[in-house]
Amino acid sequence: MGTRITESMAQRSILRDLVAADRNLALTQRRLSSGKQLTRPSDDPFGVNRAIALRGELEGTRQFRANVNEATGWTNATEAALTRITDVIQRARELLVSGGNDSNGQVAREAIATEIDALAESLKQEANATYEGRYVFAGTATETPPYALGASDAYAGDAGTVARTIGVGVSLTVNVSAAGLLGEGQAAADDRLLDTMRDIAEHLRGGTAADAEALRGTDLERLDANLDELTRVRAIVGATANRLQAAGARLDELEESGLDLLSKTEDADMAETLVNYSTQRAAYEAALKAGANIVQVSLLDFLR
Amino acid sequence: MAVSTFTGLQTALRGLLAQQRALDVTSHNVANANTVGYSRQEAVLAASPALRIPAGAVQGGGAAELGTGVDVAAYRRIRDQFLDLQYRAQAMRLGGLAAQVRGLEGVEVALAEPGENGIAAQLGKFWSGWEALANAPENQATRQALLESGVGLAGSIAALDRQLATASEQAAAEYESIVAGGGEVGQMAAEIARLNESIRSSLGSGSTPNDLLDRRDLLLDRLSALAQVSVTDLGDGTIEVEFGDAATPLVAGTAVSWPQALAEPGGKLGALLEISGPTGTIASYRADLDAFAGELAETVNAIHASGGGPAFFSFTPGSAASTLAVAVGAAEVQTSVGPAAGANDIAIAIGALRGGSADQAYASFVSRVGTDMSNARRAEQNADALTAAIDARREATAGVSLDEEMTNLIRFQRAYQASARAMTSFDEALDVLVNRTGRVGL
Repeated sequence: MGTRITESMAQRSILRDLVAADRNLALTQRRLSSGKQLTRPSDDPFGVNRAIALRGELEGTRQFRANVNEATGWTNATEAALTRITDVIQRARELLVSGGNDSNGQVAREAIATEIDALAESLKQEANATYEGRYVFAGTATETPPYALGASDAYAGDAGTVARTIGVGVSLTVNVSAAGLLGEGQAAADDRLLDTMRDIAEHLRGGTAADAEALRGTDLERLDANLDELTRVRAIVGATANRLQAAGARLDELEESGLDLLSKTEDADMAETLVNYSTQRAAYEAALKAGANIVQVSLLDFLR
Repeated sequence: MAVSTFTGLQTALRGLLAQQRALDVTSHNVANANTVGYSRQEAVLAASPALRIPAGAVQGGGAAELGTGVDVAAYRRIRDQFLDLQYRAQAMRLGGLAAQVRGLEGVEVALAEPGENGIAAQLGKFWSGWEALANAPENQATRQALLESGVGLAGSIAALDRQLATASEQAAAEYESIVAGGGEVGQMAAEIARLNESIRSSLGSGSTPNDLLDRRDLLLDRLSALAQVSVTDLGDGTIEVEFGDAATPLVAGTAVSWPQALAEPGGKLGALLEISGPTGTIASYRADLDAFAGELAETVNAIHASGGGPAFFSFTPGSAASTLAVAVGAAEVQTSVGPAAGANDIAIAIGALRGGSADQAYASFVSRVGTDMSNARRAEQNADALTAAIDARREATAGVSLDEEMTNLIRFQRAYQASARAMTSFDEALDVLVNRTGRVGL
């Protein structure tokens, strides 16, 4: 006689198959309802490791995007202030040219000097520009206004750089120190904007031929040099803004591709999972049906 | 020598009795068709000793032997002891792997990876907190947010460590409850010793106690799921049972030696010891977690304190995971080496730790737990399938098949009827001899 098959063997094997089918079905159901292929580290240890790394990178990318937004805000505030400073200097240059013209009398020159003083004051005001409550031209002394309004032209900020991280290991300096543009006034004799403006006002008020000569000669040259410097700084800030914009676009792409990768690693393929689900359900029902039928009949039914 | 007139009656009677016994055994089999551990039995029929007729029994004057019917030679238990050995070896593996899977399942669930709430995600948020602080070092709100994410991260690491410790304690407690004096092992050992006693006395009086043997085999099956079991037949029907790596046999004849110390018993007990031991799986997970927490605290602290400020995290080396805590208040969070309000070099440097050694240590920890768990699951399913296959082979030999028993029932019933018919025909023959012979003309 070959292998004997007993009733309890058949019952046990049906039960085992039912349990196995049920387990597969439960796993597929979990994948369907959570939408995730990976719900536990043991589902696929390598895949989970990858998913954790991808999630970390994605979080980093999002933070870099936030950093870029912040830096862009800072740069925009800087650019706007520099534009206004340029306007002020343009106006000062017009005044200087007209003040250097001998057709103006001393009274008119005095009036121009007063306006130059006011412009110097508004220069300081512009240099005190803020972004979200922080002084953008004060180096890292962001809580101190770089210039006090009034007679003193001393720079109250520091020479520190404000940096923002816009990528792994990529740090970008976003600030411009006002000290390099406006300088520290006549006391420092540094030929920067405030020094120049104060000298111009002095020369306008002086009224001598030498003063008039200075207005037409050195003062104009110095103001033009300051304007050139300002243009150079604005070019740098503009370049920073461009770099930020490019970095932002790249980070957006990175986030998108990171999400895509994460989804491919972690998410269940719905079509495949659904097909698996129906196949497994069919197998489960078949096993149930077999269980209901097979154990019913025995020799007993045919003996009289 | 003549043969007794009634020999035929006696032969028919033996037939009736033997077929009746065979029917009894069949009925016993059917009744126990669903009894766990039962082996089907069989009445072994053998021709009874023949009646020797010395001389003149056959033509030519020679001697002969006349058959006298049938006897039940034995009631045999149909079972393959070799399959029992195979089954027990697999049952031990399965018991160990199942205990391992159940013991570590909690650890895996506690990780909550991959997900939004796991430590990996909190770690990411923590680094982002530093970068947000680097964007606005002047801002109190970002400091507070950073501190809170640091406190949350340290709390989650400590909570995971506690869950690991609990899993280990649960395994140790389960081990204790099984090996304790009145526990599962002790009870089964005592019952095996009692069965040894009964089996020995049954064998002594010449009978084979099939059902007691079945019961003892079942107990050995159950014991083997707990630990490595090896059985030695002592010859008088009793057995000696070696259990795990216990120094003295668990059962020797009718003597029980329990409780005893076990080091690597195999089976479920072995797995529980392996999970909860001082150098076991969970202890090494906790060591990994400590190494990760220490790495996190040290790398952050080294940068945080580089400007002469305080350490960001406090922890006790050796139990970093359970003691990790944020050691500074919002005002003490260092954003830069210098005092300038807008400087952020420290915050940037700590933010740049993202994806560094701490992150990698944690990821490889998760990966290790996952790999262990997935290997254990796969091995458990294999062992389960193997155990089931061996059990099916055992069942093929020892299990009760109702169809077969029904067939036997018919067979024995017919033989019984035929024996009765034989008896009737003798009766009729004797009737003729006793009541009618010599009554010619009456």
